[in-house]
Amino acid sequence: MTPLDLIIAIVAAFLSMCMFSTLYGKSSPLYALAEESYIGFGTGLTVVVNVLYIYRTGILGIKAGNWVLILGIILGIMVLFRVHPKYDYIARLPIAIALGAGFALALRTTIFTGFLDQIRATIVPLFSGDAQTILYRWTIALCVIFMLTFFLYTIELKGPLKWSATIGEYMMYIAFGAIFAQTFMGRLALFVGTMQYLATPPWKKPILVASMVIVLALLIVLDKTGLLERWTPEE
Amino acid sequence: MSEERNIFRMLAEIDRRIIYLLLFIVVTVPILRPIAMPLAVSPDTKQYYKVLNSLGPDDTVLFVLDTEFSGYMEIQSGVLASARLIIEKGAKMAIACSHPEATGIPPMMFSYLRDVMEKYDYKYGEDYVVLGYIFPNEAAVASSAQDFHGVVKEDWRGRPIKGTFLDGIHDWKDWSLIAIFSTGVRSDAFIRHYGLRGTPMVINCIGVMIPTTKPYVDTGIFKALLPSMRGGAELEKLINAPGPGLAAMDCFTFGHYLVIFFIIIANIGYFGYVRRRAER
Repeated sequence: MTPLDLIIAIVAAFLSMCMFSTLYGKSSPLYALAEESYIGFGTGLTVVVNVLYIYRTGILGIKAGNWVLILGIILGIMVLFRVHPKYDYIARLPIAIALGAGFALALRTTIFTGFLDQIRATIVPLFSGDAQTILYRWTIALCVIFMLTFFLYTIELKGPLKWSATIGEYMMYIAFGAIFAQTFMGRLALFVGTMQYLATPPWKKPILVASMVIVLALLIVLDKTGLLERWTPEE
Repeated sequence: MSEERNIFRMLAEIDRRIIYLLLFIVVTVPILRPIAMPLAVSPDTKQYYKVLNSLGPDDTVLFVLDTEFSGYMEIQSGVLASARLIIEKGAKMAIACSHPEATGIPPMMFSYLRDVMEKYDYKYGEDYVVLGYIFPNEAAVASSAQDFHGVVKEDWRGRPIKGTFLDGIHDWKDWSLIAIFSTGVRSDAFIRHYGLRGTPMVINCIGVMIPTTKPYVDTGIFKALLPSMRGGAELEKLINAPGPGLAAMDCFTFGHYLVIFFIIIANIGYFGYVRRRAER
């Protein structure tokens, strides 16, 4: 463990616990401190990394004789006019080009990846493979049919169609439950991963525990003395 | 009856701070004092392991860190276990980032994997290269699929990639595998410009992405999906290299039990107090 490692561990643990101070149920200056620090860090890093990217791909490319990249640099500079109220219309052109190129690149393939391939993957043999495969395929096929009938809006749902739509509706509830469970698992994993980062290797554990205690104590003291609200910056 | 109703009311109106506090304790305590509960390996992870295990020294993997730093916490077990397996198989690895914050991950990753890299004599330039932030948008991904060296000329420290194993990479078909570690920033672009053309791809994604990513496994665009931190833990078990994933499974188990407990409690409160009050 170097002194730098120690400083990083202390700052990381303290700011993380400040972030978790939002669970106290009241706005606090500790949360504001952590939030503003993160925004500052994130912005700084993004600027540096993107400037380096422009240098590596743009400037070095132009130096190597790829003159067409000058056009890209000019368009990039035009975007900066967006901050000036009088000349912000200049930024519309490069933004329109970027949007148009992005849409074109994405749309020409999305029809396959997001639509045709998905339909193809649903239309599969229902009687081949082992018992588990057959069960999965039948489940997918039936769910697609039931749920599609739920979304029939142009005819009145009566008889078998109504039954199918009702089953489709309940299947959607099951799907929503599964998605919620996945989401919870994901959010828990984020929390667990963060706590692990703050507690590994073992020499970080006392720092983590101390940060928890200090932040909680600060919150209670600030709350009792009425400073919690007064010291919290306005949104 | 009145007392019973009060209990139901208490269950229906539990202070959310108590839930947060209990969840915080339940998750934090196993990190400070691990228990090592048993873990079963899912078919998804077995399939993922099979794809990575089939790599050899002649293969080149594009290892894409498509994540911001907070999201990395969820998939770090998958990232580390996958990199370890790729190193053990002797496959070449080019590490690319599609988020500025991901540029801080490779040094941490190689610091963690130092032992296996020394054991297999895995060297920079010969076996792996860190390309840095090279995929800021869809256009960069699309261009790299058609002319890789037209988009990438240097590694993250400005050293030319010419003369490395990447000399053999020209377009999408030269990659043996693209392994994406995603929180959803740029993975769709890889599907569109590499996967659709036929480059083999696998993905380790965060939990909220699983329902939307799974259909791409069914269509064959992704050869396998490693689900969230749980998948990372299972992969650690399969390659016999315990890491952050396996250590986190205790927290997961207790966290999930607690949520099931609160769902039951809240439903008792709902039917015993909220619904009865509404009916009145």
